[in-house]
Amino acid sequence: MNRFGGWWPCLLLLVLAAGPLQAWQEEPAAPEGEEAQEPEKTLEEKVEELDQKIRILERKDELDKEQAAEKAKTATNVTSGRDGFSLRSADGAYQLKIRGYVQLDGRFYQGDDERPATDTFILRRVRPIFEGTVFKIFDFRIMPDFGAGTTVLQDAYIDARFSPKLKVRAGKFKPPVGLERLQSATDILFVERGLPTNLVPNRDLGVQLFGDLAGGNVSWAAGVFNGVPDGSSGDLDNNDGKDYAARLFFQPFLAGNGSWKGLGFGVAASTGDQEGTLTSTSLAGYRTPGQQTFFSYRSDGTAAGTVIADGERFRLSPQGYLYRGPFGLLAEYVISRQEVRRADVSRELENTSWQVQASWVFGGEPTYRAVSPKKPFDREAKTWGAFEIKARYGRLEVDEDTFPVFANPVSAAEAADEWGVGFNWYLNRNVRIYLDYERTEFEGGASSGDREDENVLLSRFQIAF
Amino acid sequence: MRFRIVPALLLTLLLGAAASFAATVKLLNVSYDPTRELYQEVNAAFAKHWKAKTGQDLEVQQSHGGSGKQARSVVDGLEADVATLALAYDIDAIANAGLVPKNWQTRLPHNSSPYTSTIVFLVRKGNPKKIKDWDDLVKPGVQVITPNPKTSGGARWNYLAAWGFALRKYGNNPAKAKEFVQRLYKNVPILDTGARGSTVTFVERGIGDVLLAWENEALLAVREIGKGKVQLVAPPLSILAEPPVTVVDKYANKHKTAAVAKAYLEFLYTPEGQEIAARNYYRPRNQAVAAKYAQQFPQVQLFTIDQVFGGWTKAQKEHFADGGTFDQISGAR
Repeated sequence: MNRFGGWWPCLLLLVLAAGPLQAWQEEPAAPEGEEAQEPEKTLEEKVEELDQKIRILERKDELDKEQAAEKAKTATNVTSGRDGFSLRSADGAYQLKIRGYVQLDGRFYQGDDERPATDTFILRRVRPIFEGTVFKIFDFRIMPDFGAGTTVLQDAYIDARFSPKLKVRAGKFKPPVGLERLQSATDILFVERGLPTNLVPNRDLGVQLFGDLAGGNVSWAAGVFNGVPDGSSGDLDNNDGKDYAARLFFQPFLAGNGSWKGLGFGVAASTGDQEGTLTSTSLAGYRTPGQQTFFSYRSDGTAAGTVIADGERFRLSPQGYLYRGPFGLLAEYVISRQEVRRADVSRELENTSWQVQASWVFGGEPTYRAVSPKKPFDREAKTWGAFEIKARYGRLEVDEDTFPVFANPVSAAEAADEWGVGFNWYLNRNVRIYLDYERTEFEGGASSGDREDENVLLSRFQIAF
Repeated sequence: MRFRIVPALLLTLLLGAAASFAATVKLLNVSYDPTRELYQEVNAAFAKHWKAKTGQDLEVQQSHGGSGKQARSVVDGLEADVATLALAYDIDAIANAGLVPKNWQTRLPHNSSPYTSTIVFLVRKGNPKKIKDWDDLVKPGVQVITPNPKTSGGARWNYLAAWGFALRKYGNNPAKAKEFVQRLYKNVPILDTGARGSTVTFVERGIGDVLLAWENEALLAVREIGKGKVQLVAPPLSILAEPPVTVVDKYANKHKTAAVAKAYLEFLYTPEGQEIAARNYYRPRNQAVAAKYAQQFPQVQLFTIDQVFGGWTKAQKEHFADGGTFDQISGAR
């Protein structure tokens, strides 16, 4: 026998050598936990990959914009700003605007020994305004008033805008007569409107056609109304007679930026038959800017002692304004003629009134629709808004045939002359402070002759949006 | 000569009737995204046909968009006289809103589908990613372009074609099919709202490696809009897409266009209408026209939605309704 065991030691050697040989031929095993790595990308592949990523981002942005544009076609637009709050459908066919204004007044009477008047603060007007549009051409406006603790529906009407030249309005609104009456209460120059406003209707119920011609250079309006006494509002007619009112107003230089752009002038009139009763006379009294009544017709509730409207009522009012640079001027003249009766005595009485008011603005320009300061109040920027100085003069004359049958000369003045001066501070489009001094002198109206002059300091803090 | 009143009256009436007929009739066709070229040609041909038949001038206005979105627009008040959408479910939605009778699909031949199509792949010229079948779409590094099934009818056909393939591959195992489709949608970088949008993304913006497309869109891209840049790859298995059409009765009656709307859809089944469909790469129902254009369409084994999914209502509820399989898949993208 071979001492080294024959073939089996060789086989054992081979097996023992195979392990290390195989290990040498194989790649080393990756340490535990590591995955095999992908082959590295070429530069071209990396560039292509980046290019694809950029294209994807750009396309996503494009699609987002398309979707946003699609959404915008139907999305409701909600805005808030100095003109209030509004909701608007994407196509503009439906809108709702919520606006409003608050006026806190102060009235301080000087030298009121004979006719004491109470100094007072008063919430003169608290008016939320709801305006809107439905079906593109139908506008509405609802404006209640909660001033002085009362609730009154001032405006409630619908407009149909068939074209700029022809619109129809129906509801309760201001008939187209008095120039200063037609100005919004937030835009008037003084705290209270002047004497002529006593002779024109305030708000009435009716239907009116109106529009703008010649590119807005000519405004026209014509309507039929229940008919209200001078200076008054009404919600219900007390007789079958109706008033017809019309107005034509020219702004010949409205288009363009010429210096006469702010010129406007026109004429308004109303006519109708009005018949009062003992409890609803269809006649009104007249008030001073201090809101004191200085004239009223006789009325004691009896047929013998009460004056009623009894026949034709006619009003005529030429009117105009000029706003040029910092200067503003407004003037109107009103004739109010009414057939009246007391028991068996009838008369046609004609009362007249006129006023001129002027202003000068620093830091802004006046318009018929108030002042917008060039630089609103901002303490940090040291800008102060706009300041306006103002003056006015006006007169109201009662027909001398009124006395003594239809009005008591001891308590009703036959004329009033009013002048006022003042100062407005427009902090911005929404906030305004007024300070007025008003003096009204009377002819008649007292047992001793002339009624005591009224001297009153009027202030107003107004916020409107 | 005595003045004859009766003939004069009759003549006046006839002239009046003729005048009313002479007024242009308008139809609104609310359609899905890729049918623009088809209906441009159909509308011109039908207007000519209608004028010759009745003397009336006809104008067909078109609206195009994702099929689901278009159906919702009609339900929300878009006054379509006819709806030519991508799938029956979208017209069922209009029927459920009471604008179309529930039996609308029986009113025209072939379940109201005058032409068919299928889903194929559009790839870059030369097919650099070597895409041949649905399996290739789930590979890492392959970007797939397909629209959003929530808005696009074509996208729903794409999704169901992929799902049908996966069911076949994995022995009808829904879990495996879901996993397969999920992997596919992981490769989708952008979801357009409609099929035409996806074509723009792929062909014009140069994004992606493969576009899942209506066959007609793919053929249009290969032969016209993407000529020289793309090529069509037909998978061995795909779904038979049957885009349906219907008169929207409520609005057609309101507009007094019911008769012309019916005639318009019937025109799609005429030899002339079928030729137009085939020329625009839709598979015609008419056997003679189909034979004439057979070479233009790739050979694909087709399954129907009824065979694999039990119909559109079931498929919609399971896959595309809120919380359905697509929502689960896309939530995990």
